[in-house]
Amino acid sequence: MSARPGIAPVIAIDPNLCTGCRRCAEVCPVGAVSGPQGQPQAIDAERCVLCGQCVQACYAFAAPFDEPAHDPAAIRRQRGASEAAGPVFAAHARCDLDAAKALVADPSRVAMVQCAPAVRVTLAEEFGLAPGSLTPGKLAAGLRRLGFAVVYDTTFAADVTVMEESAELLARIAEGGRLPLFTSCCPAWVRHVETAWPELTPHLSSCKSPQQMAGALFKSYAASLDGFDPAAVASVSVMPCTAKKHEAARPELRSGPADLPDVDAVVTVAELAAWLKEAGIDFAALPGEPFDAPLGRYSGAGVIFGATGGVMEAALRTAVALCGEGRETAGPESGIVFSPAGPGVARAEFELAGSKLAAVTVSGLANVGPLLEAVAAGTADFQFMEVMCCPGGCVAGGGTPKLLPGLDVAAAVAARRQALCDHDRALPVRAAHANPAVTELYAAFLERPLSHRSHELLHTVYGGAAKGGHD
Amino acid sequence: MSVTPGACIGCRACELACAAAHMAAGATVGSMTRPPVPRLYLVREGGTAAPVACRHCEAAPCAAVCPTAAVRCDASGVVVEPARCIGCKACLAVCPVGAMALAEVQDHGRPVLRRVPDPAAPGGFVEEPAWLASKCDLCRERPAGPACVGACPVGALSLVVPGEVRRVRLLAAARAMAAAASGAREEGR
Repeated sequence: MSARPGIAPVIAIDPNLCTGCRRCAEVCPVGAVSGPQGQPQAIDAERCVLCGQCVQACYAFAAPFDEPAHDPAAIRRQRGASEAAGPVFAAHARCDLDAAKALVADPSRVAMVQCAPAVRVTLAEEFGLAPGSLTPGKLAAGLRRLGFAVVYDTTFAADVTVMEESAELLARIAEGGRLPLFTSCCPAWVRHVETAWPELTPHLSSCKSPQQMAGALFKSYAASLDGFDPAAVASVSVMPCTAKKHEAARPELRSGPADLPDVDAVVTVAELAAWLKEAGIDFAALPGEPFDAPLGRYSGAGVIFGATGGVMEAALRTAVALCGEGRETAGPESGIVFSPAGPGVARAEFELAGSKLAAVTVSGLANVGPLLEAVAAGTADFQFMEVMCCPGGCVAGGGTPKLLPGLDVAAAVAARRQALCDHDRALPVRAAHANPAVTELYAAFLERPLSHRSHELLHTVYGGAAKGGHD
Repeated sequence: MSVTPGACIGCRACELACAAAHMAAGATVGSMTRPPVPRLYLVREGGTAAPVACRHCEAAPCAAVCPTAAVRCDASGVVVEPARCIGCKACLAVCPVGAMALAEVQDHGRPVLRRVPDPAAPGGFVEEPAWLASKCDLCRERPAGPACVGACPVGALSLVVPGEVRRVRLLAAARAMAAAASGAREEGR
């Protein structure tokens, strides 16, 4: 994965700031960080999955008493980071604020923005609120104040992903397709399969991630609704994830007759917070505003994509309903209960459309190895696997606000997850297929899941990263 | 504050936690309301690392030399009162461990400012942040105690309570002597 000419790598470690404590190496799920203790660490770009867990772990900051002296303002400028971004650390993610701001400021473009489910339960932390503060309304209002013409939501596209992926799972089961099916929402996980287990790439769902689906729909369905030229749409996303920056630039994630990138710029939650501060927006004082319709209407199923096990539960809610198998339980909405089955792994067995099935969810890429070995050996006894690279899911992503040292990370991540679960429970619609905006999308534009148009816009062929990669 | 020899990995978590504990901040790095100014200092030398902080000397030389009584000792250690400090640096000169720094400091959550003549307006003044004595105060305002101790990911830092250290050492010495005595009796049989 060599960086494109003139484009900084997504994740980097500044040797002038790195103290060689090796905490980044400890959290790297793929062993991509190396270096002697006490010396600056290096990242193996071929192996790195760009998850940004090293960025979250790094506390080696430029302090005022350092010798030789560091100039944090100069380092921020050099990294393209906002002056409001706070201290600079050795391990850092590429900042794409300038690109996003330029798109919003371009009078020839219509700036559409989407934000991942996890953004609404993490952004407020950067303004002093407690972890797990749920602020979807302030998030939408803040994005409008920054100048976005249309404020849509990745959560809508997560609902669409459920429709496509559930249909794909049922189709693979019915047609004897490649099983187990792997989820493909997490770009760090996808990259890991492509680079470390290329022979297992066919197990990945052909679905694009919700970010890319939303982008593809911005430049097709949404553009046609409002009579815009797809090429005039500027597609920006706000993500709790650093790997999404890489995903947006992948050549196989473009669509439409003009082969436009689905997403033009990706900013992290931390970058958005800095942007809001820079613009002098008092986040706490913002009123709650709705996301724009129709691509900002979402169900509870889309919301839980931000937490481990959520994609699985969301997909099962729809799969169970589509098979006419309503289950009455006090547990999860789908009625299917997952039980711990090893470090970071949960498993459930259930019946669907007359077939006995098993599914697993994996929280933390470091825990997926044994399962992949079983798949490669042909001994995997499950048909569906959800993997989220970051332990706890996207709410713990590399682009979420970095917690101060001494804070209980597990408790903060649990609070963020709980906030998503509460949000899901409070919504009137809790399954993707019951989201009226999704129903309308299929009725008016896509026809049905896995249709020709769905394939053109919402599906892809993975495996590119194994063929030399790109950034 | 004491560092377990060889345990420090040099990650700077202690410095960041210290800086955050001395300003208005939420749970995240981005919620810090001003640039981080730690009051203990990670020193890396010849492959080892250790944070250095004020030893809170009983007969503190910094307090003895302070011409404005801005540095004072009380039951919970040695503390600087920014309102009295004139930034003369006498305390820096005498501190045996280099724990005193000159920094932009805050008092009651607000930056301490100084007035300097305005070259652009004769007779006028401008206000700018004052650089004053800055040092560890053992997080005396913090119910949970020093932030650095709680932040160290390898548990290398601990708060030393002199009486407790003495009690533990006495107990260890007594046990060692008892064990030696019983060993001698065994050999004598």
